[in-house]
Order: sequence, then structure tokens, then C-alpha cells
Amino acid sequence: MANKLQAVPESVPVTPADPFDLDALRVSQDFEAMAGVKKQLINVPVRKPNKQDFVRVNPDESYRINLHVIVLQDDREVYVVRPDLYTALSNEVVTVTLFTAINRQGVVFLWPVRLPSSDGKTNAWWTSARMAAEQAMTKWVRVSANQSLGAYEVMTAESCTHEPDWPEQSLQELIRIAFRERIIDSIDHPVVKRLRGLS
Amino acid sequence: MLDQYRAVWAVDFEFIAYPGTRPDPVCLVAHELHSGRTIRLWRNQFGSTPPYSTDAGSLFIAFYASAELGCHRALGWPMPERTLDLFTEFRARTNGLPSVAGSSLLGALTHFGLDNIGATEKEEMRDLVLRGGPWSAQEQTDILGYCESDVVALYRLLPAMLPTIDLPRALLRGRYMAAAAKMEFNGVPIDTVMLERLRRNWSSIQDQLIAEIDRDYGVFDGRTFKVDQFAALLARNGIPWPRLESGRLDLSDDTFRQMAKAHPAVSPLRELRSALADLRLADLAVGDDGRNRTLLSPFRARTGRNQPSNSRFIFGPAVWLRSLIKPPPSYAVAYVDWSQQEFGIAAALSGDPAMQAAYNSGDPYLAFAKQVGAVPEDATKASHGPVRELYKQCVLATQYGMEAEALAQRIGKPPVVARDLLRAHRETYRVFWRWSDAAVNIAMLRGIIWTTFGWPLRIGAESNPRMLRNFPMQANGAEMLRIACCLATERGIEVCAPVHDAVLIMAPVDRIEADVEVMRTIMAEASRAVLSGFELGTDVTITRYPDRYRDERGVVMWERVCRLIEAAEAVTEAHSA
Repeated sequence: MANKLQAVPESVPVTPADPFDLDALRVSQDFEAMAGVKKQLINVPVRKPNKQDFVRVNPDESYRINLHVIVLQDDREVYVVRPDLYTALSNEVVTVTLFTAINRQGVVFLWPVRLPSSDGKTNAWWTSARMAAEQAMTKWVRVSANQSLGAYEVMTAESCTHEPDWPEQSLQELIRIAFRERIIDSIDHPVVKRLRGLS
Repeated sequence: MLDQYRAVWAVDFEFIAYPGTRPDPVCLVAHELHSGRTIRLWRNQFGSTPPYSTDAGSLFIAFYASAELGCHRALGWPMPERTLDLFTEFRARTNGLPSVAGSSLLGALTHFGLDNIGATEKEEMRDLVLRGGPWSAQEQTDILGYCESDVVALYRLLPAMLPTIDLPRALLRGRYMAAAAKMEFNGVPIDTVMLERLRRNWSSIQDQLIAEIDRDYGVFDGRTFKVDQFAALLARNGIPWPRLESGRLDLSDDTFRQMAKAHPAVSPLRELRSALADLRLADLAVGDDGRNRTLLSPFRARTGRNQPSNSRFIFGPAVWLRSLIKPPPSYAVAYVDWSQQEFGIAAALSGDPAMQAAYNSGDPYLAFAKQVGAVPEDATKASHGPVRELYKQCVLATQYGMEAEALAQRIGKPPVVARDLLRAHRETYRVFWRWSDAAVNIAMLRGIIWTTFGWPLRIGAESNPRMLRNFPMQANGAEMLRIACCLATERGIEVCAPVHDAVLIMAPVDRIEADVEVMRTIMAEASRAVLSGFELGTDVTITRYPDRYRDERGVVMWERVCRLIEAAEAVTEAHSA
């Protein structure tokens, strides 16, 4: 008969294993381990913190670097300059510390803070920004420009003690993502030409 | 797969079951798959024990087994120790996917392209059974034949389904069908005198009910709810009300319920609208013994939860109607529910230490506010009630997948406050959110997500991310309830009904506290089973005769209705005097 299964003789005592051993029946709910889905970082802005954002700076020294850059103020764009071009472009280039920062929404960005110029000059904007970045290594801070003060003001969120989720990528990788299309590698670069009125 | 069983019985009963009554078995056909032996019994041939073995070496197979097992219960037969319910397994196989022809036996046969008895013929035979006896000899033959056709369908369906059945977990689900049968058999004790008074007077008191409640609102014209007057009421009171895409006010009961939480002043209006629109007292299924019984419909919901008829089940309609629940003389009922079950499940399964600490504090909402730094460490519900309420609403909002706009409406605050609350939740419970995101990713990547004990949800063309995100909490909550119901009914507790995250049990007054302790122990055990050792607490409300059960949310409405009934009856008496 089609409906007949392979017969087990009635005389053979069959006692299946306890099917209600709940420990044995449990199926993993560790979806995180199973999913193997990683958030890919495909965009890393280079900018100062938005004035409403609370931010933290990665205190790990390997997550900051001093670089020569050119800043297009009108376009709010920052270009990194190959070190060997520094002398040729010294009038356009400024030196900044790039801090790795993150806001409360988990957006990772590189925060450029000016270093003193080659003649050692500095100003309150630069020094206050640097102090803000240093404070942001241990606290969530909000940085806002006070024009009448001529410097940045810093507010700290004392009640917020959560440590941020820093990205796994190294600073080198973050820089590669951030400056993917913004590397000045020759004096013929369109940005240089534009600054020199040649385009 | 079934060779391990000495006997495999495919079983079907025909029975009579009027609304609210226990099943009255009419006939039985059982077919043993190894030997090919078939047993056909008419009702006068039923003995004191089943005509087949029910021990652990035998497998009992049925389609919608709680019906067959209800007949076992009615006949005083033991429950089979191993049950495979093909309805449940068909639901598991197709859960979340569009169905070809529903989840009935006919639907399952159609799904697999198997021949089946015509739907019309099935309907006629069901009517013949439900007509009740006496049946002629020919009718008996026909009914037995019809019953056997379902058994034949069963053992034809089995090979089609068997390769994909996860038998160990299917047996666990089958075990619950026995618990469901027992709970359906027990039913919920109802104050039938009060129910009758309510049914008799409901129509006549509606106008007074409207007049009484609408006195504070002025939004009814006769029995008609006037939208423009309601809009004016909202404007007068500065209540921002959700609107539909068309721009009209969203007047759905869901929205009313949500808004009533943020603006309690509209709560009576919501109760009234719901009662006028949805209350079908005639449908409430109460048997001659005063028990409310209806099919619990196990595994009907996508989450695997029971899905009993809203109008037939006492726990379905408006909460105020639950005051009809009343234990009989010398008995008591107890409502035992898990404390913050969803939050506890989320904390345990995600392994989020902050969330687990909040749950274990006994007041997760206040603990959340403390973890965020919104209240001092020594804050209490009394000292910081309003702040606690905000964080409670935030927790509930995340469980429902609510966005900032909806939460803002619910708490009556600007969206920026809601956004900050939701962000605080994400920051405080980051482990949970990673796990929750991963659950959605798993579902979308593999096309399936499952519970601790394997209840699956398959991802069809139209997946709902909010539902997916909530599935682990809801569906594991359902697992927990099923295990608790199995253990309780097997250990002699009289479970009247399962209710989402709770059970209603009954016992003699002098035993109720002992039974409650057993039930709480069982519920703790069930939580540990589902959550790998993490234990959820329970809360209890005991109601002893002559008191009636009360849900606090419905007390005002219930008392108002009772007052109106008394007034209406006084008028009737005066007229007849």
C-alpha cells in the first residue's frame, strides 16, 4: 500500500528519545553571529563638527595625524597635499591635525584643526578648536563659534557617559575613504590652477 | 523518520460543538500507517480508553489536533504522549507566505496538488453532523465515510509534508495542541446572569451611555459621531491628532487607543466608540455551564500566537467586558502574567547587559531613565512619575517599531523630544540594537527567521521590517506561553485561558494561592527554557467569589454600564407594575 510505511514489529519496544528535552531543542537566537553583516564605511566627511552635534574624538594617538591640506573655503572642501609638493604650494597649503571624530548618530568624520602657521602664529579660533578636540577625547562636546568672542565655545554633556562605537578601520583606511578624490598630487591639479587663477 | 514509532495513527473525529459548549464526539476513524489497519467507531462504540495506543512509542497524527484531543478530553481518554499536528506544520511551512487555498486540510491538499473531497460536499457533511442525532443508518455510514476521507487525506498529506517537518520541534508544538484542548475544554467562568442582563438591555442603554459620556465632549448627534465636532474639540483642547493621507482625521480604533494613552481625557470616548461599533454580545460563546469557550486557534498568528475570535472570546472584546468573568461559588480565578515580557525577552536574547540590568531592577522604565541620567539614582516611580512615563512610552515605541513622529504624538511632546528618547534607547541598549538589526538582516538574507524552539516566519515578497524586528519578542513570547500552558495543564492546574502574555487559572478558594505559586514557578521555568536561563518575573491578580474579575482599564466603563442597566430595569419594572 502506498500509505504504508516500513513496519516496525509490535513486539519491539521502541522508546524514542525524550522529544521534550528543551535544552536539546533550543535553536540559536544569536542572529548577530549568524548574519555576518558588517556596516561598510563608504563616506567619511572632512569637516568641523556641526554646531548642533555632540561629538567625541578618538583618544587613540594612532587615530590622529598632521597633514598638509588645501582648504577651499567657498566649497567647504579639504584637499590633502602630497608632502613633496609642500614647498611648491606653500602659499596655499595649511597644516592641520586630522582628528577622528564621531557624532551621536554614529557618523564618523575627520575633524581638521589648524596647527600654528610656519611662522609660529596662531589665533583663538585654532587654539580653542584644539582644546575642544582634546576635551572631546573624554566627553561628548558641542562646539559652536562665538563671533563676538572670536573663538569656539565648548559645551560638555555631563550626563552622557556612553562610549561611542568607533569604526574598525585604521586611520589610514579612513583617510583613503575621506580623500578618495581629493588628493593633490601635482601642481597641475585643477584645485591649484583655480587658486592661482589659471582655470 | 517515523520508523522509530511502534505505531503511527492518523486520527479524525466528527463531533458536535455548539458555541461555548464542549465537543460531543460522534464518530472516530483511525488508521495505523505501519500495518494499514483502520478502526471505525460510532459514538455508541466508544469505550473508556482509546482504541489505539497513546504511549510514547506511538505517534498520533491529526490535522488541527486540538479538536481531536478535545474529543479525547470529552471522552475521558488520556492525551497521546506524542502528537504530530499537520495543520500546525502546514502553518509552519507556509507562515508568512501567500497561501494558495488557506490553511485548512483542503488548503493543504491543494497546496501539494493532491486530490481532495470537494468543499461543497465537506460543508454538507459538517452540517449533517452538526444537525445532531438521531442519524439514520445511511447517515451514519455517510458520516463515517466522510470522517474516513479526512483520515485518508491525512495519510496522503503526510508523505508530502514529512521531508520538511522538523519532527522534534513539531512534537513540541503537538504537545501544545493537547494543552490547548484542555484549556478550551475548561473555558472561562462567566457571570451569566449579568451577561443576560447586559444582552437584554444593551440596545436600550446605548442612548443613555452616549448621552452620559458625550456630556463632556459634545461630539455625538444621536448615535452618530460627528467628525467636525470632534475636530473642534481637538482644536479647543490643543490635541494634535494623526491624519490620513487624505488629510482627514484618523479615526481608527488603533489611533484612538494610542491617543488615549497620551491624552487620557479621550479614553472614555474611545471606549464608547469601540463598544458601539464592535460589541457583539450575542457572539460571546458561553455554554450552558456558564463557561466561555471558543477555539483558541493556536499558531494562527504569524508569531505563532493563538488567534481566537475577538467577538467570541471574553478576552477579545473591550476590556470593560472582562468584568463578566466571575468564579463560581467557592472558587477563585487568578490572572498571572509575565512582567514586561517583551522587554525581558529582548534583554535576554540579545544579551544586552544594560537591558538585562534594567529588567532585573524590577522597573525597567525607571531603570532606563536612570541609565540615561534623566533621573537621579534614588528616583522612584512616585518621585519621578512623569519622566518614567516618557521612558516607558519610548520603550514601548521601540517594541512596536514606532518612529519619532508617532512617539511624539503618543507622548504629546514635540518630535525633537521623541527623537532624543529613541536615540537614548539606541545608545543605552546598543547590544540589543545590533542584535535586532542582525535579526532583520538574517530574515532578509535567508528568507526566514525563527524562534528559540523553531517556529519559523518565512519572508515573502512583501516583508514588513517593523514586524520582522518585533518577531523575536512576540514569537518567543508565544513559545514561552505555550510551554507554560503545557507544563501547567500537565501538572494539574486548571488553565481557563491563555491571554497573550498571561494565563487565567481557576481553583477552589482554599487552593488558589497554592496553585498560583505552582503557576508562577511554571512560568519562571518556561521563561528560563526560552531564554537560556534568564528568568522573567510574574504578577498576579486573584479574584475570589463573589467578586468579579476586573481590568483596571475598564472599571469606569463597566460601572457606568451597570448603573445604566439598573436604571433601565427599574423603569421596566415600574412600567410592568
